[in-house]
Amino acid sequence: MVPQLSWYLALSAVLFTIGVVGVIIKRNIIAMFMCIELMLNAVNLTFVAFSSFFQDVTGQLFVFIVMTVAAAEAAVGLGIIIAIFRNRESLDVDDASILKF
Amino acid sequence: MDWSTVLDIILKFVAITIAFTVVLLIVAYTVLAERRVLALIQGRLGPNRVGYGGALQPFADLLKFILKEDIVPDKSTRFIYFLAPVIATMAALMTMIVYPFGPETSIPFIGTIPLSIARFDVALLYVLGVTSVGVYGLALAGWSSNNKYSLMGGLRSSAQMISYELALGLSLIGVIMLAGTLDLQKIVEMQSAWHGFRWIIFLQPLGFIIYLIAAIAETNRVPFDLPEAETELVAGFHTEYSAMKFALFFLAEYINMFTVSMLATTLFLGGWNVPFAEDIFGRGTFLFGLVSVLGFLLKVIFFLFLYIWLRGTLPRFRFDQLMNFGWKFLLPVALLNIFLTATLLILYMSYSGSR
Amino acid sequence: MLVLLFILFAGLAIGCAIALVAQRNPLYSAISLIGVFISLACLYVMLAAPFIAAVQVIVYAGAIMVLVVFVIMLLNVEQEERRRSRLGFLVPAAVVLAAVLVAEAAFIIWFVDKSHATPTQNISDTGLTSSIGSALFTKYLLPFEITSILLLMAIVGAMTLARRIKEIPAGAAVVPGAQVLPLHMFDRSVPLSDTRGVEAYGTEEVAEVLDLPDDHDLTKRD
Repeated sequence: MVPQLSWYLALSAVLFTIGVVGVIIKRNIIAMFMCIELMLNAVNLTFVAFSSFFQDVTGQLFVFIVMTVAAAEAAVGLGIIIAIFRNRESLDVDDASILKF
Repeated sequence: MDWSTVLDIILKFVAITIAFTVVLLIVAYTVLAERRVLALIQGRLGPNRVGYGGALQPFADLLKFILKEDIVPDKSTRFIYFLAPVIATMAALMTMIVYPFGPETSIPFIGTIPLSIARFDVALLYVLGVTSVGVYGLALAGWSSNNKYSLMGGLRSSAQMISYELALGLSLIGVIMLAGTLDLQKIVEMQSAWHGFRWIIFLQPLGFIIYLIAAIAETNRVPFDLPEAETELVAGFHTEYSAMKFALFFLAEYINMFTVSMLATTLFLGGWNVPFAEDIFGRGTFLFGLVSVLGFLLKVIFFLFLYIWLRGTLPRFRFDQLMNFGWKFLLPVALLNIFLTATLLILYMSYSGSR
Repeated sequence: MLVLLFILFAGLAIGCAIALVAQRNPLYSAISLIGVFISLACLYVMLAAPFIAAVQVIVYAGAIMVLVVFVIMLLNVEQEERRRSRLGFLVPAAVVLAAVLVAEAAFIIWFVDKSHATPTQNISDTGLTSSIGSALFTKYLLPFEITSILLLMAIVGAMTLARRIKEIPAGAAVVPGAQVLPLHMFDRSVPLSDTRGVEAYGTEEVAEVLDLPDDHDLTKRD
């Protein structure tokens, strides 16, 4: 018996769900960012699984582009986090509530 | 599972054991050789009391490291403190499996075996990936020691390593363009032309120089060893490590040196190709394999000697000079090398119709 | 055999993902995320995509996570404290709805699996570097070029966010990280007893701020 496509899809769904739970639960902004990366990786796994089972290279190319976008987003996002930290000395998202009514 | 799979797995384990033992022995004797050659350059004798000419010194050092007291700093993060040398050593050792030590030889009673542990298409990318993961060992070691000098040393080491990794990768692209593949065994086989003399160093001299400089910076050796020099930051990121954990870091640095030398030999100096050996011995025979493996080891030892020679001769860079050099000079020169190689390759291919 | 490997790597991925969410120290979360990336890379190798696996380790585990670990170390992020949860009745409702969702998903997967409409994994050329490369440069050239422009935008954006302003307002307090250099070092006519300092991140910046020629050579000490 070999691993079926549905197993990879189920694993990807579980990882994605854990990422969503992490974004909702965590209060530290860097930890939230890492959970977003986990979600992106779960989607990458789906793409690669489909590309392998249907013998189409488009899936892997899309993964390549997603990785590039994730790298760009990491650089800019961490720059923003550092700027926030410089101004406010705390990385707790619940403290960044100045715009709240 | 049928018997041939089990036999394959057992053979692979035997190959891995032999390769690791050989590598660890060579690395241990590299430490001794470094001390003696440095001593020669500096006009004194190195360790020569233990065994004939100091030949048993590595074992004496090993005994000392095992029996030393293991001091753990009080406020350090325990898990990461123990994990860091493991990551550094693992990343250094894992690159060993893709290098071809010799051609396909027929060993009596076993048959024809290729003299490398594993073969896959993306071997060169695998080596780059594993060296990227090795950066964590230094960064986590610096952080977990709870010591601001270690932290600075660790961050500087990691920043230097990731800066020069770029130049390293870019200098290899010229080689990949010439060879047309990422598979290290095919690259070595491609260098067997011209009676075993078609080494890529003759086709890519600029790439070789860039690779050498980037490799010396990757392994944190003189002249790029500011983060771990004794006069600068005590001992950098491994200040708070004692006994066996320090031995692991030490070992990881020398194994990194060794793997980088092996990569340079495989890519630029023709790997196991000894010129005219194929005409004398004939392909696939046992003597040809033996001569090829000896040639490979000789080339690697030449690179290690070059490392030690540089250590005895050059002063070290200041950290901002080092970063300036890596980003503002080496990276543009590596890009220029790619551009030149691509242009010349297109001209050559359109003129002669093949690579 | 492949099933065992799949269970191993999938278990490792899920375990590290749960550790990522459950840990309160962000550095441990970062290490767990590196574990997730490496186990996903092993899964990609099982799916006959070695190039994507190697790129995953180089880009994600070797570059992005190094950046995150640097930021955690530089900002000295401490652990999250546990706060009292104010959810109340929402938690059992969430559990029930989640169970319904999982049951639906499991039913769909089981149904599609049994119907033999799913494909099987064959040995083919997709996943080799050459096929990805040829597709990237012929059919998907436009996304490739746009991605390079995106990376350029990211570089410019990150540099703009991290830039420091060069003018020093009058009466400013000393910014941590700036050097305060004595004025005598730049203007030799000022006596050494003058204790005014200039604050900047380096001698070149000071020379610019004070409008002096920067022939300051630190290798010649007098």
